[in-house]
Amino acid sequence: MTTDHIPIGHADLSNRARSLFSHYSPAAAVPDEMIGRDGGVRDHWQTLVRLLGELGPVELEKRWATARRLIHENGVTYNVYGDPDGMDRPWVLDALPLVFSAPEWAGLSDGLIQRARVLDMALADIYGPQRLLKDAIIPPDVIFPNPGYLRPLVGARPADHRRLHMVATDIGRCPDGSFCVLADRTQAPSGTGYALENRIVVSRAIPEIFRDCHVSRLATFFRSVRNLLQTAAPHNRDNPRVVLLTPGPYNETYFEHAYLAQYLGYTLVEGADLTVRDNRVFMKMLGGLQPVDVIFRRQDDGYCDPLELMPDSTLGIPGLVQAVHAGNVAVVNGLGSGLMESPALGAFLPRICRHLLGEELKLPSVTSYWCGHEESLRYVLDHLPQLLIKPAFNTPRQGPISMESLSAGQLDDWRQRIAADPAQFVAEAQISLSTAPVIIGNRVEARHIAFRAHLAAAGESYDVMPGGLARFSISAESMIVSMQRGGGSKDTWVLSGGPVDSFSLLSPPGLPMEISRAGGDLSSRVADNLFWLGRYIERAEAIVRLSRGIVGRLVDQNFESSTELPLLLEALSRQAQIDRADEHGKVGEAEMEEILFAPALAYGLQATLRSVYTTASLVRDRMSIDTWRIINRIDSDFSGGDLRDRRLSDRLASLDKLMISFAAFAGLAMESMSRGLAWRFLDIGRRIERSAAMVQLCRTSLCGSEPPPPNALEAVLEVADSAITYRRRYMTSLQVPLVADLLLADETNPRSLAFQLARLQEHVAQLPGNQHEARLTPVQQILLLRLTELRLMDFNTLPAVAAKESCLQSRLDSMLVDMFQVSDLLSRRYLTHAAPGRSIGASASTR
Amino acid sequence: MAVYCIRHLTHYRYQEPVTVCHNLAHLIPRDSPGHTWTQVELDITPNASRTTRLDCFGNRTTVFTIDEPHLELRVESRGVVDLAPPRISALFPTSPWESVVNLLRGKPDGEWLAAAEFRFRSPHVDWTEEIRGWALQSFPPGRPIAEAALDLAGRVYAQFRFVSGATNVSTQVAEVFERRTGVCQDFAHLAIAALRSLGLSARYVSGYLVTQPPPGGSRLIGADASHAWISLYVPEYGWMDIDPTNHLWPLEGHITVAWGRDFSDVSPLRGVILGGGKHEVTVGVDVLPADAEFNEPSEAP
Repeated sequence: MTTDHIPIGHADLSNRARSLFSHYSPAAAVPDEMIGRDGGVRDHWQTLVRLLGELGPVELEKRWATARRLIHENGVTYNVYGDPDGMDRPWVLDALPLVFSAPEWAGLSDGLIQRARVLDMALADIYGPQRLLKDAIIPPDVIFPNPGYLRPLVGARPADHRRLHMVATDIGRCPDGSFCVLADRTQAPSGTGYALENRIVVSRAIPEIFRDCHVSRLATFFRSVRNLLQTAAPHNRDNPRVVLLTPGPYNETYFEHAYLAQYLGYTLVEGADLTVRDNRVFMKMLGGLQPVDVIFRRQDDGYCDPLELMPDSTLGIPGLVQAVHAGNVAVVNGLGSGLMESPALGAFLPRICRHLLGEELKLPSVTSYWCGHEESLRYVLDHLPQLLIKPAFNTPRQGPISMESLSAGQLDDWRQRIAADPAQFVAEAQISLSTAPVIIGNRVEARHIAFRAHLAAAGESYDVMPGGLARFSISAESMIVSMQRGGGSKDTWVLSGGPVDSFSLLSPPGLPMEISRAGGDLSSRVADNLFWLGRYIERAEAIVRLSRGIVGRLVDQNFESSTELPLLLEALSRQAQIDRADEHGKVGEAEMEEILFAPALAYGLQATLRSVYTTASLVRDRMSIDTWRIINRIDSDFSGGDLRDRRLSDRLASLDKLMISFAAFAGLAMESMSRGLAWRFLDIGRRIERSAAMVQLCRTSLCGSEPPPPNALEAVLEVADSAITYRRRYMTSLQVPLVADLLLADETNPRSLAFQLARLQEHVAQLPGNQHEARLTPVQQILLLRLTELRLMDFNTLPAVAAKESCLQSRLDSMLVDMFQVSDLLSRRYLTHAAPGRSIGASASTR
Repeated sequence: MAVYCIRHLTHYRYQEPVTVCHNLAHLIPRDSPGHTWTQVELDITPNASRTTRLDCFGNRTTVFTIDEPHLELRVESRGVVDLAPPRISALFPTSPWESVVNLLRGKPDGEWLAAAEFRFRSPHVDWTEEIRGWALQSFPPGRPIAEAALDLAGRVYAQFRFVSGATNVSTQVAEVFERRTGVCQDFAHLAIAALRSLGLSARYVSGYLVTQPPPGGSRLIGADASHAWISLYVPEYGWMDIDPTNHLWPLEGHITVAWGRDFSDVSPLRGVILGGGKHEVTVGVDVLPADAEFNEPSEAP
């Protein structure tokens, strides 16, 4: 790498702008996006640079700190495969946008549109008449052995005659200043949601600069996306049901799937939400099957149908391919479109373009050579050190390998590998990408950049997103521009030639919208996740309440003589389902440590909080930003490592903080969720878990052979959050029957068992299929029976423990059994068909 | 003129109810030269909604769904086929095998594109240098392709042992090559791998074989099973069927149902089920002369 640098023409910069950019000196070997060859700021960057100067570095830094917090709190993440910390890596965004002028962008768009059209036409040919093969434009060697060529889709004709609805093209600027294509993403392109989020963050951080630069808005592009999804529908084109299909939260861009679903207003689904009947796709809802017209998929095509594509995929929808053949569903992008991503085929694109359009390809790819051609192979073997080597067909997660810095021995190995099976390799010229300014610490430095342009089908042509996702390399030297391998992102500003269209999807303009009230149906999988979210969060709360009671007493100097401590510890160990009492039946502090901190303990706090977070992630599209912030806070409040060594009083403070977060979550659920099925399932989960916890607590504390000491009753009331009510009613006299009545039978106490049962009764009556039934369902029968029993219970005469069945202990035991019965019955009725299927194949030949 | 009645029954029994199943079958015979089919039927119990379409190889692919809980699934295909005698009965002169390799690599022409589908690696057909070396022993320079291919099939027959149950659907060619044992499907995959390793086009054929009764004995009902063999592209002739398991040529009594690159393209029945627990499957095939009567459906594991 050369050390020549371009000095900035200081005449171009105001004093204050200079203080931001004064150290900026991009290397001269490649073009810089902001600084021209002459050292002056390029025309289309002038306004931005001047306004940033006026803002000043201090103010920019301050605003950017706020923006970063917004990114964190909104939970913008990107998952990195194979990295233990890879789940939910925070999104890296630079404050400085990448700027394009209107005329340059228009030229680029022209090339992008032509390219997208060629790719779509090539797909139509390869899955149809195969003229490209018959006329020897492309050799069969790049199609037939290509795993991206999905034979079950051959001959399928999409209703809208299109396979490529959305295209993303990775673009870099070459040393001569022209654009070239680094890669095409044709099957489930990612990046539109991140581009949008970047835009929102940057435009909020520097709104006045954004406004004065006349930046083209992104929203018009999303209008095109919505429009294309609607018109792709084979049925119900007026009001089609569109779903966004995600592989789930472990996917690298899951954040974007949830984000786009929410922004565009579509239901986020996983494969298990959908099913095929009579060649139509349906969504599994609590109330039954609902037809689906369009699947906007963010899942690789091989995974989409375990029956006809990859049999071991658990993410797919068996029968989807047949539904596509029957013309009953539109899949966007069409199944099989991943084929156009293969590097081997890319090498033939200029030929394909000439053949199909009779035009030269306006926006070329990096020069590439498919080694299956003898001439190309010879060239590649002779020029290996200057090239990048890629697998000819898409191999997941295998990037290009640079030959530049390899030893002579390594190069020989590669030559042998390539010569042994040349058709498997593609070589590409290494290109040096242009640079752009990036804020690194307190300085502005040059980083190599590439950006992803997005196109959406519109009529016979395509609309180009005016902007895109720009990414920069991790260091000044590196040419690797990838979120998977470090580096960061930038907003991309396309300056508007004319007035800026202020269209926004967030508030649709004057269109009459149909009024719809809560009561809409819910997918079984989402209901299942909400149910478990309710259970986990309540379970975590029960542990925290007990632990708080225990830690509070440990802080006290006289805890050795405390009579209630053993009781609380026992209740905690029951709650966490560990059975480690010593020979005296005592549970010690060590067990509490384990319950609070051991990550592997299934019912311990760590595992439960983890489950809260992952379950919440699964229904993230159903959550408001505020709710998500609380979930994020719960997750970060109490991650074990740093707390273990702290003093007891600090621990108490952390447990308090966690309680407040739980309360905030419960408050938002009560006050902000509409009373639909989603809320009901969340609350059902919570009520079932709270019933079980209360029964456990009473069983441990009120059913001993001797009446518990007053201190213990006090502690139980405190853990059950009912101490104030009790004191107000009965002053200070602590008696077991009164406590039992308040905690079990008092329907005005929101913590009591009877209260939970009454709420469950209300919920269950409103579930699909139960409203108009004459007979009570088994769940309703159990609830009615138990609630009546509680209402009739006389705690004054009921012995705590006795050999007969009529003691409190045995009543509580059977209540607990019934609560789990209710949970099982509800799951079986509403939730179990959310499970994935499995493949079986007959081995038929025995001869 | 030989007319046969065919019955092919696949019977699944599950430990627990299957709530939904989606299936893909290649059981309705395709159109193929020398075969005239009548009375073709596919019975599915419990009742299923179904669709049959042609796949990219021209096979009839049936997709069906059962969405009522069931503990058993019975799929039975039946048909009557009038089988023409083989078109050729003696080895005919063919081109040197290298010229066929060059033709397949060269300019597009006639059957060329269809043949090109079958000269690459596929899910069950992979090869090593060792397999290629082994194949070359039957393909010395200039040897006519048909003669060389029959020699190769003869070597599979001579050097490999048929052992029922030695392998399963996912056994790879290299393993079969090393162990020298397998069933018809493995021998077909091996022969295809050997031929493709040389640059030739060969496809996998799935169907039935008429079992000849032992001299003086009566025809064994239920001893028939579904069978697999290969077909080689020979420019002068088109596609030439070869049975490496039995080393018969020309083939008589081979009834074609479907063909593809390998087993994965034409598996008779596969599915995705919800529920079911453990399952048992039995498959039985009867191929009888049209004048014979079916006894009770028989099932061989």
